[in-house]
Amino acid sequence: MQSNKLGWILLAPTLVILFFFGVLPFLYVVFVSFHQWNPFAASPEMIFNGAENFRRIVFDDAFLSSLGVTVAFVVFAVLSELIIGYLLAQAFMKEFPGKSIFRTIHTLPLIMAPIIVGSVWKLMTTPSIGIIPHYLDEWFGITMNIGTSAPAAFLTIVIMDIWHWTPLVTLTLIAALVSLPRDPFEQAQIDGANKAQTFWHITLPMITPALVATIFIRLMDALRTVDEVWMLTGGGPGSSTRFLGVHIFKEVFPKTNYGYGSTISVIVLYLTIVVCWLLYVSMLAPRKNRKG
Amino acid sequence: MNFALKVGVSALAMAIASSAAYADDAFWKEAAKPYQDVTLHGVTESSPPSIYIREVLAPQFEELTGIRVDIETTSWDQMFDKAIKDMEAGTGIYDLVYIEQDIIYSYLARDFLADTTKLLADSPKLKAPTYSEDNFTTFANYFRGENGDLYGIPMEAFIKIYLYRTDLFNDAEIKAAFKEQTGRDLVPATTHAEYAEIAQFFTKWGEDHDMDLWGTTAQAHTGHPASWYEFFETIAPTFGVYNWGIDADNNFAASVANGGTMNSDDAKEAMKWWLSMRDIAPPESNASTWTEVGTTFGAGRVAQGLVYGENAGWIAADETKSLVVGNVGVALPPLQDGIMDEVEGGTGYIGYYDGGAFGIPSTSKSQEAAMLFLQYIGQDEVQPDWAVAAPRVTNKSTYDDPKVQAMNEELGGYYDLLRDKGYLFAGAPAYPFHAQVREATAPILYQILTGDLGPEEGLDQMAAKAEAELTDLGYRK
Repeated sequence: MQSNKLGWILLAPTLVILFFFGVLPFLYVVFVSFHQWNPFAASPEMIFNGAENFRRIVFDDAFLSSLGVTVAFVVFAVLSELIIGYLLAQAFMKEFPGKSIFRTIHTLPLIMAPIIVGSVWKLMTTPSIGIIPHYLDEWFGITMNIGTSAPAAFLTIVIMDIWHWTPLVTLTLIAALVSLPRDPFEQAQIDGANKAQTFWHITLPMITPALVATIFIRLMDALRTVDEVWMLTGGGPGSSTRFLGVHIFKEVFPKTNYGYGSTISVIVLYLTIVVCWLLYVSMLAPRKNRKG
Repeated sequence: MNFALKVGVSALAMAIASSAAYADDAFWKEAAKPYQDVTLHGVTESSPPSIYIREVLAPQFEELTGIRVDIETTSWDQMFDKAIKDMEAGTGIYDLVYIEQDIIYSYLARDFLADTTKLLADSPKLKAPTYSEDNFTTFANYFRGENGDLYGIPMEAFIKIYLYRTDLFNDAEIKAAFKEQTGRDLVPATTHAEYAEIAQFFTKWGEDHDMDLWGTTAQAHTGHPASWYEFFETIAPTFGVYNWGIDADNNFAASVANGGTMNSDDAKEAMKWWLSMRDIAPPESNASTWTEVGTTFGAGRVAQGLVYGENAGWIAADETKSLVVGNVGVALPPLQDGIMDEVEGGTGYIGYYDGGAFGIPSTSKSQEAAMLFLQYIGQDEVQPDWAVAAPRVTNKSTYDDPKVQAMNEELGGYYDLLRDKGYLFAGAPAYPFHAQVREATAPILYQILTGDLGPEEGLDQMAAKAEAELTDLGYRK
């Protein structure tokens, strides 16, 4: 009883902060999402319009297009980060000259704010000024212009995200790999298992919890990406990199369409929860059932 | 001289001169007595004129009055975001907000701003002897409400001008080649056809001579509203399409079918001409906002272009940033036949008169102290050094100051143009739905720029979208 009370006392400050800065704003956004509200409309007051915003979103081409490019971005970026991150984590498990220097350099992007990453990549990719288009042209005769080519802009953003966030995946997977017991690996070696079999039947199942946690973090981050994209392309060319985060930003801030913007935010949150739940059910629940 | 140095020199000069120059120090000290515990908080865009306020004028004011002024300079988007949220929620964090000319009507529609004329009329003790609304240029009229009162103290004003390279235009070999090719002398263009001819000539000249030189700038970012502004505020008016092609007196019609001009033949011709210029501009143009256009010109990569006046200063005079110092001329934008007569006759305008003011939010808890500060920065006495440090003119007397006249020489006569021809330019139309219509239609413009939509089809869609948005907002019935 005593320990319960102490626990609640210790938790109280966090819960109070969370309530005021997390729960209340969220409830307010849900409340606003059922209203038509643009402070610069002819009628600037908040008008309850039921589920009209939610009905509208289903037929909103701009939202659906934004959802499409976001899903494509999430799939390409997160999958690439997992594969590259795992390979790097495995590399860092071995000893090689200059390992600590390489690991430090490799981790540096993580400490950069997304808006800075966007600025740096903008400088590197601006046509005729940036180093990347310059050398692509000089060495390979490739013209790269993220202001006109939608695939180039999309690919640049995916690569930028991979560069920025792969170190996070590497670090979490190194932690997972380091904590694995040696016995199963030695046993597999004695039984004559090859590398692929060892990975598939021992390593992967054992690091799955860490892998899922990493996927959750990256998935949620990627779904709400704004800063880097805003800085690099502003959502262009056209709407080719207008990811959901950018779409919501443009709807809520410049357009001051608070009602509809809140609706999109709620839907995006709902989609994120559904995707994470599906991931959880498909990857972790079967393990729990087996153990049970 | 770079901006930081100018700010430093200005600060020093003004500090030394302050005791002599301000004979009315006693007024400021007396008027500020009731506000000694006040700290004023302001938010503005991180631009040279605003940085000058933060670094020079605010400290001077604090020293003179004891009223502390904290000026937060941030990005354009953040500045609006912070100011609007504060005024919308009524939190009263800010006592001073930057009002860009194009958003004043939205703010006035929501009663976000305090009436500075009334504030001074109601509190005569606050009225500084050196401050008068009559001192401002006509640009101040953009910040007046329907009652004629002033809701913002002008702090910067520029026109978007036609900038050209005098070294290239006066080069004997180039002049001869141009004459041979076109049959006319190489002088700044007055029509679109002449401008296009010069642009094509220089882009080819750059190619033929293996130079990083193109014939024109283009503010044609494919994902940033800068391109929308270039078309509707700079290019379209020169073809006779005013106020974004929306007729406010005709139920806010945008399409030709309903009485607007957003998709008129003139608008379509303007769009085609602009796209043709974009195609021969430097490759970075598709990713260029107003900032990058200035950078492109300052880097010596173009022979001519349409450039915001706020950038003209450093392009023409700042050797630490510009490679074309001393080689810049200014002129009026090229026009379609008949437009100048139309504008001189009182209809329309030939380009964009840009700028901003400082206002006091209705929600400010220190309006009187804020009014003192606004009068301080609105005095004739502080203008010349400010105009030299960050080229902008808001007071009539500033033009005659020797320092400003010397600067005018460096800028190729920019201040003369602003004073003598400023009346031909106009700010954004008086729409309370500025950002809303821009954001609704901009994605279609981006598609035109990427070639996903043709100019004619695209403008038809933009007009329809503008009308739909105005209907949603309740302005169009």
